[in-house]
This record gives sequence, C-alpha cells and structure tokens, in this order.
Amino acid sequence: MYIIKKNDILNLAKELAKDHTMYGPVVEDSTGQAFFDRVDNIDDIDMAAPIPTLPPKHVLFPHMETIMQYRYDADQKKAEITGVFDESRKALFGLRPCDLEGILCMDRFFLGQEFVDDWYREHRSRMFIVTNTCIAPFKQCFCVCTDSGPDAKEGYDINLTDIGQYYLVETGSKKGEDLAKAMNLDKAAEEHSREKTVRVEKSITLFEDIAVENKAWISRVMNRVTTGFIDEAVWEFIGDQCFECGACTYVCPSCTCFNVVDINRKDGESLRLRTWDSCSYEGYSRMAGGHNPRKPVEDRRNKRFFCKLSYSQSKKYLRPGCVGCGRCAWVCPGDIGLPNVVTYIRREISK
Amino acid sequence: MNIQKIVTIPEIATIDEIKEEIQDVKTFYLSFDNKEVDKTFKFKSGQFIMCTVFGSGEFAVSLPPSPEDDRFHITVKTVGKVTGALHSLQAGDKLGVRGPFGNGFPFEDIKGKNVVYVAGGIGLIPLRSSIVNVLQHREDFGRIILMYGSRSPDDLMYSYNLEEWQNIDGFETFITVDNPTPDWKGHTGIITTLFDKMELPVDDTVAFVCGPPIMFNAVIKEMMDRGISDEHIISTLERHMKCGVGKCQHCGIGRTLVCTDGPVYTYRQIKTLGEQI
Repeated sequence: MYIIKKNDILNLAKELAKDHTMYGPVVEDSTGQAFFDRVDNIDDIDMAAPIPTLPPKHVLFPHMETIMQYRYDADQKKAEITGVFDESRKALFGLRPCDLEGILCMDRFFLGQEFVDDWYREHRSRMFIVTNTCIAPFKQCFCVCTDSGPDAKEGYDINLTDIGQYYLVETGSKKGEDLAKAMNLDKAAEEHSREKTVRVEKSITLFEDIAVENKAWISRVMNRVTTGFIDEAVWEFIGDQCFECGACTYVCPSCTCFNVVDINRKDGESLRLRTWDSCSYEGYSRMAGGHNPRKPVEDRRNKRFFCKLSYSQSKKYLRPGCVGCGRCAWVCPGDIGLPNVVTYIRREISK
Repeated sequence: MNIQKIVTIPEIATIDEIKEEIQDVKTFYLSFDNKEVDKTFKFKSGQFIMCTVFGSGEFAVSLPPSPEDDRFHITVKTVGKVTGALHSLQAGDKLGVRGPFGNGFPFEDIKGKNVVYVAGGIGLIPLRSSIVNVLQHREDFGRIILMYGSRSPDDLMYSYNLEEWQNIDGFETFITVDNPTPDWKGHTGIITTLFDKMELPVDDTVAFVCGPPIMFNAVIKEMMDRGISDEHIISTLERHMKCGVGKCQHCGIGRTLVCTDGPVYTYRQIKTLGEQI
C-alpha cells in the first residue's frame, strides 16, 4: 500500500500514458455531464467527476466494431478473409467500482465460457485498470445492494481512495505494483488505511432510501425471478411502461448483446460489423421468415431482468448481472430501471 | 470424438454442386478449400454451422449429411436476405463456414432402442443426418420408423432418399400428404393420421420430432397419449442467431441458449423453458 499527494495524482496517469492509450472521466463544461472516454490531454481527467453517463464497456466492446474484412471476387471465384483485432494497449484511469464489476462480468462472459471471444480478448489482455473508490454515492447508486461498491475488491491493477490530503494507492497485480515502485511512491502508514475504512463506511451510510430498503430484498427478488414465481401481471405492468428504446441496455455495464451485419464498401471490400443490440427491441428474436417467438414486450422485459437477477445467469458472471450503477433508472423514460423493478417485485412478494 | 471447431474466422468452402430439391429449397454440396480442414472437419448429427454468403451475411444452418461416409452439404430454404443471396450462387462459388456448433442428437446413448422419426415438411432436413447415420448402423438399433408428412407430393423433401429408404429392409417408412395431386398413390391426411396405420413402439423407444410448431404439438400429444415419455421425445429448435458461440444472446430461450445448450432438446427440457418454441 502506498500514498500519493492529491495534487500529484495525474502523474500516475501521465506515467501510464507513456505506453497506453488513456481513457478516463472527463466533465463536459457546457452540460456538466461526465463521460468516460479517450483523453489525449491527461490534465482533462477529473478524479472528482460524478459517475460517467456511459460505462467504459465501449472501450472493450465498442458500439460498432469491424471484426472481419473480406473481399470476394465472383468472377475469379476468389475469397480472402482477414480478422480485424485491436491490439493496442489501453489504460482505464479513475474507473468507478461498479464499472469495474461490469468489466469483470464481461471478462467471465466473453473469456470464461466454453468459447473465448477473440475480439474481446485482444481489447482486454493488455489493459491497465485504475479504480477510484466512491467516498460518497451518487443519487441513483445502489451498489450496496449488489455487492459491487462503494469500494473495489478485486480485478484492478491499482485502486485509489481519496483520504483527504492523499490518495491511498492499493496495488492488485504485479503490473500495478511495478508502476507504484517505478513512481517511487511513499509507503502508506496504518493511519492511511484506517482513514480509508472510515471513509468507505461513511459512504455506505449515505445511500438513498430506495437502495437501503432494497438491500435486504435483492436476494429474495433474485430467488423469485429464478424460480419464476412472479405474477404475470407484474411483468405486464412493467412491460406496459417499456418504451422499447433500448437505453437501459446501452448504459448497462454488463449488457453485451450484439448484432452482426455485413456491409459492402464501394471498393469491393466488405466489412463484418458487430454492433450493440438490445433485447428490448421487437426484432431482437425475429427469425428470417417473420416468426417471432418473443413478441410481447413484457416477454422481452422479463428476459432482461432474468439476465440481471437470476441464479442461472449469475453462474456465468459469478455474481448478479446487475452492478448497481443505477444508470438504467437514470435513463429510463418509463420508470422501470432496475431498482424500481426490484421494488415492484418486492411489493408483490409482500402482498 | 474430439471435434475441432472453426470459431472465429470462417474457413472458405467451394460449392461443388447445387441440387434443386423442392420449390425454394436447394442442396449445396461443399468442400473446404484448405485440404487439411477438408480432411479433418468432423461433426455430430444434429449440430449446425454458421455459413457466410459473401457480401450478404451469415446464417445458422443445420447439417443434413451423416457424420460418416456422406457428402458434406447443407439444404437451405430461401426465407430472407442471406438465404436469398445463397440461392443466386452457382457451382464454383465460395462460402465461409464456421462450426460445427451445438450439442447434436444422441447416438451412442440410444443404441439398442427403437427409433421413431417424425418430420413435417422441411423438418426432415435436420433429421436426415441422424436417419442416415442410424441406418448405417442398423444392426445396433431396434425398430427404425419414419413418419413423414408434407403439404403436397411436390413438397416432399429428399424424394430420392425417400425412394431409397422405402426399399431398405427393416426401415418402416410412412409418408403422407395433406393435399394430394391426382397421381398421388400414397396416404393422404395430416401426419397424426399415420399413427393409426401402425403399431407405435413405446417401450425402449426414442422419438425425434421436427416440423412446424402446429404439427409438433399435435405429434407430441399423440405420442404422450400412447405412452412415450417426454424425456424420450427429442427435437431440434431454431432461433435467430448471430454468433453461434453463446455470445450474442439472440438465441436465448428460457435460461438456455440454442447455440450452446441446444439446438437439440428433449421435450421434457422444452416444457421447462417457459417460452414458445
């Protein structure tokens, strides 16, 4: 464990920037909104920025990505296929703990199943991750319900915690340890780590009522979602409020459904693109020929919350699919973000 | 059997020959351009591949050939953009192939049992692989029965195979059409009317059922009424599919994915999925 003076914190980022493409939280002046995006000027990184509007999943799993390129000469009967992989070194600086859990979900899903996703692996394998402990939650946060904050537990290379004059620097990997050594950081004293504990415990007391109330309920709700003992009327009530806009899936750190399309360029080259998709869209499960086995919107809503809150999906993520960032509650025009869905199911259980 | 899978980048294959089957359905005989792959490409009956039509996209398609001693081919009905583009191709054109994916039909586990195949229309395509393979090892199985129905005599798939199969000793074939043509000499009526024409084995029996949902449900009911248990009724499902390897999630059904947990399910499993098939 080390410490670094608060004013020097971006020196860490500058050191990383020597051999990494940097991504970090930046606050847009005109709107006050925070984004987790590529930063060319390290001084733009704002460690006090609120939780970013979009999670950093787009760094590892871009909105739209060329995964393959091919050319087919129909006259010569000649086909050439090349896989396109992003082998650059990236560093995520100042990641919030919930977003780190989102990345861990994606790791286990893309890399830990029967098949390994080569595109994701290439994005991920050279990545350096620096997390930033939330010493106060934001309004929509409920990571205390899903065991994913306000402090990161594993998966980071370096974990930073604001302890007043300093940041406490915890290393979680050899890469992280090497960087701390190379920077000649001062060793932390016991009082520094004690201060962190105090601040994290304080943070936990500051969550909104809905998060605190749902905390005791989330496992019961998960049990109900898994076993299917939820009245159809609840799903219909939820489905009725769904605008089918797909926003919840776009802002979700662990949603990874994608679509694949081939497009033809004028020069004869074709690109295979993979793009984000959403299970809330009607065309999601529609087959060629028009048969759609998942037509009603409550059917599709039901499936999204099954993905986030069921044991069988949790087996793939080794944790609940929801990381408690609250972004879906933030963007949903129908008021069926995950915390509200938990509340609706809770009401039905306790009826 | 250790099966090498082509997971990420498709292997290029050549269409050696195209056979018109019935209206809108063609069979494409394929071989891999890479000789090593062509030699080592193995699959189980009931598995599927992801097939790239260059310039159009990729689609999931079942494998109708037997895994042993059979020409590698796919049989495709034109239903959408990519299959439409496939149908416009000629012999000599190239395709991309990834796979094989999915769990496949049971084979070793059902040796010694009676095997009943029930297919409706193009539902015979995925079952063909298992039928041919079981016929290749006829002595290892009990009674082998095929019940096949289609809308009209012109909609009967693999007519050349049907002819051949009807002449195989010990292979009981029953064929029916809903709407006969004047020269149709066979049985007429929906597929469930075939059950009265024969004595269906019930003990030590596995049934493979594949066809449109309405036919599927009628057949299942008939079989369960006669006493075949739901865990011995096997089917293969289809879903919109993009990756074939459990990542895109489009083929989710219940808590399973058709691409990695399926496409072959027992009826007992299908009942627990809680979704339309």
